[in-house]
Amino acid sequence: MPGSVDPLSSTHGAGSGGAGSPPIAAIPVRHPGRWVMGVVVAVLLAMLVNTLAFSHTVRSGQVQPRFQWGIVGQYFTSAPVLRGLVVTLELTVISMAIGIALGVLLAILRLSPNPLLAGASWLYIWFFRGTPVLVQLLFWYALSYVYPQLTLGVPFGPAFVHLDANTLITPFVAAIMGLALNEAAYMAEIVRAGIQSVDIGQSEAAQSVGMSRLMTLRHIVLPQAMRLIIPPTGNETISMLKTSSLASVTAVTELLLSVQNIYSRTYQTVPLLMVASLWYLIVTSVLTVGQHYLEVRYSRGSAQQTPLTLFQRFRLSFLPSHVNPSTIPSAMIEGRSFGE
Amino acid sequence: MTRDMVVAEGVCKSFGRLRVLSGIDLTVMKGEVSCIIGPSGSGKSTFLRCINHLEKIDAGRLSVDGDFVGYQQRGNKLYELSDREVNSKRAQIGMVFQRFNLFPHMTALQNVTVGPLRVKSHDSSKANEIGTRLLERVGLSDKMSAYPNQLSGGQQQRVAIARALAMEPKLMLFDEPTSALDPELVGDVLDVMRSLAEDGMTMIVVTHEMGFAREVGDSLVFMDGGVVVESGLPKDMLAAPQQERTRAFLSKVL
Repeated sequence: MPGSVDPLSSTHGAGSGGAGSPPIAAIPVRHPGRWVMGVVVAVLLAMLVNTLAFSHTVRSGQVQPRFQWGIVGQYFTSAPVLRGLVVTLELTVISMAIGIALGVLLAILRLSPNPLLAGASWLYIWFFRGTPVLVQLLFWYALSYVYPQLTLGVPFGPAFVHLDANTLITPFVAAIMGLALNEAAYMAEIVRAGIQSVDIGQSEAAQSVGMSRLMTLRHIVLPQAMRLIIPPTGNETISMLKTSSLASVTAVTELLLSVQNIYSRTYQTVPLLMVASLWYLIVTSVLTVGQHYLEVRYSRGSAQQTPLTLFQRFRLSFLPSHVNPSTIPSAMIEGRSFGE
Repeated sequence: MTRDMVVAEGVCKSFGRLRVLSGIDLTVMKGEVSCIIGPSGSGKSTFLRCINHLEKIDAGRLSVDGDFVGYQQRGNKLYELSDREVNSKRAQIGMVFQRFNLFPHMTALQNVTVGPLRVKSHDSSKANEIGTRLLERVGLSDKMSAYPNQLSGGQQQRVAIARALAMEPKLMLFDEPTSALDPELVGDVLDVMRSLAEDGMTMIVVTHEMGFAREVGDSLVFMDGGVVVESGLPKDMLAAPQQERTRAFLSKVL
């Protein structure tokens, strides 16, 4: 058409293209559906904030805030709650540490050429994944009923040390055993998948340099498997933080039992459950940030980019021009899925 | 001491019901550069992997520098080697792979020094000295701290050669070292291999580079169907192959 400007054949480009063609100045595609859904979600969010923060209800003849945030604040940093939080963190850290160590060992056994070792590992995983963790916790708690005396000695031979199970296996120890041994079964499968994802050529190259099987595993295969092991391990840690609340059933005064102890006296059930929930959320958030940095650390030397954080995705979808292209992983630009 | 580095007599290897090697006879002398050519599936790579204990042979005899591969002869009996013994044999044989197989989580220098550090238990200063010298030798002194994904294919393959050399091998095996490279990167890798040959390294090279075989190779071996069909001086064989199968193959690749 005469008179109209063809955006693609413009010869007086904006200059940023240098010697080549001018940059494309196209009208972006509109996404009306996205805006409609955005409005729906915004309304729902507003309703949620309203009911949480501003709504009231009638309790024993008085108009009171529906969620008693004052009581939440009152107990949020109280001594019993903080003590419970510390116990929860102890349970999580110790159980995960044992679970990871034992899981790596089980994964290595599972991949061993010795069928007896591989079978033993398979049996362990079968048992501990096949029974509920709550049942396992109760079982370890009740262990002293089956084994009142624990002895150390030659199998089927003389014993050297006798220990009283009741003093050795406190509720805390029983909870650690239950959580850690269960976790090891899941970690074993995660580690095994990671190890098996590493190209066989890597092991062959390591062996052709003269490295032994264990050296190859330790220095070549596991460091590369870490990239696949870290993200699910982060999930497992977050999951463990919350699963540790089951230990409240076996009389370990962790975060949940601490608030239960309080509301069984004061009957302020909901505010105290909010206290516990907020603490779980806070610790989970900290763990999530830590996981992100671990992933960056272990993706070193790999072609695959670390996934974008939610914040980066927000900036990219709503304010595309504000994002420096050099910081966007190529996977994002090419529209490939980054949810792996 | 024997003058032979590798002696194969009737070497057979099957994967399940698939017979890959059906009686390989081949002798490679010390200091010799032997180039193996042949169509894909002819068993060239498998034969190389057998020499480096990556595959176990089913029948025949295969020896490197006078010792059987995978076995030890005491009296009239053959004893299987332990893992530890196999590892120490492997350490004396360098291998370069078609797909480089560099360790992606290590820098070029770390790739080269990992063998001296872990297998030979050198201290890090000695290992670094070896690594620096070898990376200089393959023309990569400016890439010491680069990770493999920051290197071109040709550069990666030269790091892989340096990694193998760091163990001071008495024999180098090359499994199609230039097949995964862009054409313009092949030359640098072949130059490194040529200089190795000039230094007297014993080399067995599975390759499709006929020019390299002609110029650098002391002998040329044509394999097909799991056997050595023909071998001889590269110049003679490329000019006037004796066997019909060799002629047919060469007419396709030359």
